[in-house]
Amino acid sequence: MTVQAQAQTPKQAAATKPVIETKDLTMIYRGRGTETIALQNANLSIRAGEFISLIGPSGCGKTTLLRLIANLIEPSSGEISVAGKTPQQARLDREYGYVFQSPVLYDWRSVVANVMLPLEIMGYSKSKRQERAVKLLKMVGLEHFHKQFPYQLSGGMQQRVSIARALAFDPKLLLMDEPFGALDEITRESMNLELLRIWQETGKTIVFVTHSIPEAVFLSSRIVVMTPRPGKIERLIAVDLSYPRGTETRESARFFELATQVREALRQGHSYDTET
Amino acid sequence: MRRFLPILLVQTAIILLLYPLALLFGLPLARRDMQDLRKWEKETIVAAPVNNAEATNELSFARTPQNGILIKDGQVLNWEYQQNGDTVSLTQAPATPLVSWSQRLEPAGQPNIYSFGKSIAKLDYNRAVYVGNKLMLEGATPAKERSDGERRNFSFGKATGPVLVANRVLSEGRDYQLDGRGVVLSQAPAFGSSVRRLNADYAVLDANAGTIIFAELPRGEVRAAASALRFAELLSGPTDGQNRLFAFEHTNLVQSDNNRQVFVDNNALSDKAERPQERVDGQRQVFTFEGSKGIVTVDDKALSAEQDYRRDGPSVTFIRVPARNAKLRQYPDFFVADPAQGKILLAQAPTPGSSVWSSRYTVYSQPSCGSTALECFYALPQQPVPFPHWIVARILPFFQKFPLGDERNVIRATLYTTFGTLAALALGGAIGIVLAVLFVLLRPLERALLPWVIASQTVPIIALVPVLLLVLGNFGITIQTSLLPTAIIGAYIAFFPVVVGTVKGLRSVDPLALDLMKSYAATPLQVFIKLRFPAAAPFFFTSLKLGTAAALVGALVAETESNNRRGLGFQILGQVQSGNVADVWILLIISGLLGIGLVALIGSLERLSAPWGRR
Repeated sequence: MTVQAQAQTPKQAAATKPVIETKDLTMIYRGRGTETIALQNANLSIRAGEFISLIGPSGCGKTTLLRLIANLIEPSSGEISVAGKTPQQARLDREYGYVFQSPVLYDWRSVVANVMLPLEIMGYSKSKRQERAVKLLKMVGLEHFHKQFPYQLSGGMQQRVSIARALAFDPKLLLMDEPFGALDEITRESMNLELLRIWQETGKTIVFVTHSIPEAVFLSSRIVVMTPRPGKIERLIAVDLSYPRGTETRESARFFELATQVREALRQGHSYDTET
Repeated sequence: MRRFLPILLVQTAIILLLYPLALLFGLPLARRDMQDLRKWEKETIVAAPVNNAEATNELSFARTPQNGILIKDGQVLNWEYQQNGDTVSLTQAPATPLVSWSQRLEPAGQPNIYSFGKSIAKLDYNRAVYVGNKLMLEGATPAKERSDGERRNFSFGKATGPVLVANRVLSEGRDYQLDGRGVVLSQAPAFGSSVRRLNADYAVLDANAGTIIFAELPRGEVRAAASALRFAELLSGPTDGQNRLFAFEHTNLVQSDNNRQVFVDNNALSDKAERPQERVDGQRQVFTFEGSKGIVTVDDKALSAEQDYRRDGPSVTFIRVPARNAKLRQYPDFFVADPAQGKILLAQAPTPGSSVWSSRYTVYSQPSCGSTALECFYALPQQPVPFPHWIVARILPFFQKFPLGDERNVIRATLYTTFGTLAALALGGAIGIVLAVLFVLLRPLERALLPWVIASQTVPIIALVPVLLLVLGNFGITIQTSLLPTAIIGAYIAFFPVVVGTVKGLRSVDPLALDLMKSYAATPLQVFIKLRFPAAAPFFFTSLKLGTAAALVGALVAETESNNRRGLGFQILGQVQSGNVADVWILLIISGLLGIGLVALIGSLERLSAPWGRR
């Protein structure tokens, strides 16, 4: 089985059933006498196997959207379905793996024990846990770091452990909230390649929150451009760059065109700001 | 080595700091002892007999006052002489013998012991014993230490003669060994028995048997004098018919002095004091004394006739009414006007040409603790801060004071307190964790109980201990029989930091880590076991270390309760009460080390079970 065979094009993804569907999804944070509309009437449909990036400036509701999908928070209004279920049911059925901005590794657990954490909670047998952890650590390139503790790893390695942990119980959906935000540019680009490889290897659906336009363009099959105040979906941009992508993809003319499109979409959202 | 050197230096500096500290706190006490005349040694100044019974013109005496007068049988001799330093030269050969003999002393069994054949006074200032014609000096120094039935080491200052215990002479080698300045007896003398060492030619061995012991075997006839020529001290002061103030050669007179003998020529002066017949009530002005002459004093101040009072026979009218309970006295012959300067005031001025002399009087000679503040510091019965090496020297005897089988043995006491504290920690830690978990799980419970938890810590433990022991005592549980009271009291103060620390730890969890658990749909129990507990563990251990110190204090306080003889608390209380400062210091150091040790134990427990807190 080759990497190419597993790679999915946006066209293929569009043909399959939606994994995530939101309808007029709205999230309002109520403080003392204040109301912040974090997300307004978001309508989004994500199909299986897609790599979706949510991009936008701070306060545009991209993390809120991700947390709503993950059922870490409850929406104020609107509907949402994940894998055909309510988000709560999806969470209870462990339909997704979540990767946070920071690795959130447990200091008292070794690398391999951290990866096994969800498996323990989900009641996998010991041999199964071991097998999964070994496999996933190999996938993220940390097969020699089983016994290490988190504090002994670099930031990039820690985040790779956290990705391995999210994939440990083989969820179909991977929710990633700016996972590479704290990494330097060089590490970030290699992590991007790594992530694309994993995506292509596993065929997961990935919802990926990012600040970075090149990252979004490079990774995604589709980009959801979001704008703040109130947070809403501005535009959907299909990325028609072919997979597998590599360093040369970043240098292609189409890459720059798409990046410009995203940038313009973001700017439209901002012009709204300056008018008020 | 490089790591430990600074630590070692600091510790050494701290220990060395105790030396100036000991002096800082001890020297004022030493000075107070030095200035207190009541703590001075007394010395009776005696007109000494002539050294050589058969001397002709050149006389010498065991003690020669600066200005002397020759006496015999309490009478002034009208011999002509010249005094030149310590030598008295007669211008004519003595008309009568210098010494009239009373009896010969016979050897009494042992070589150096001689007997009067009848009982004698232990202390007799008139006694003069001669070997051949040579005067023997009497003297023995009592040991500085008291015989308590256990002590075997005694010291005697400069005395080097035979050692006497009660009425027995000890022989060196068999009965005692020399040890530095003192001696070590092979057998501890009975409680309260006198231990002396000869510092002169002889000492009274047994007054009842009339035996004396010589430092060296006497070579010649041993005789006692009935009376001997003596050189008495002339008091200084002009005898011009006016002057009444005379001074002794030695200062610091002992005011109530049975030994004092003052003469004017051949007349002995009485130092009797007459009290008024009436009560000094603050209103009476006229008082009646026994005699009709003498120096009238109010509160040890001599009044002057006519100016301060008028006399009509034995009745004295004071011009100023003496205050209530003022000390009124009439001294018929003389009055010690200035004891510090050694001055007396005679009632009547001696006629010109007469001699005022004394054959015997007692003075405070020197502080009994020593001649310098430092010596007196060393002699203090208890230094508030002992020198570290004294503490070190006390360690072994203190540990050996009771056998291991006795519950008062220090090692047993330390172990007992250790177990008590550990039990308190276990109990306090467990209560702390349970409360912390409840507080984190149920916020209302925390709101309701936290004020009580805080209030519980403001109750003074010293007040709580008796109440608690009373309650437990009703169930037959006492410190003497069970570790439980100690554990409960220790736990009572140890649980508080544990609750606070553990609650903080349980709440310290990264919110994202909680989100992570939520994303796994983990049960609350799983969240506690897999996340909250491990995250709180470093906090728990830190607070448990704080609790250790508290638990130790609690255990110590509990042990100070009466009826208890176990543990370091009892030891500290006991040594404080009996004033063994060095032992108290040893106990303080043991308690401190115990605290450090227990904290270190918790620390290693933490390293084993929750190493992530230390990164």
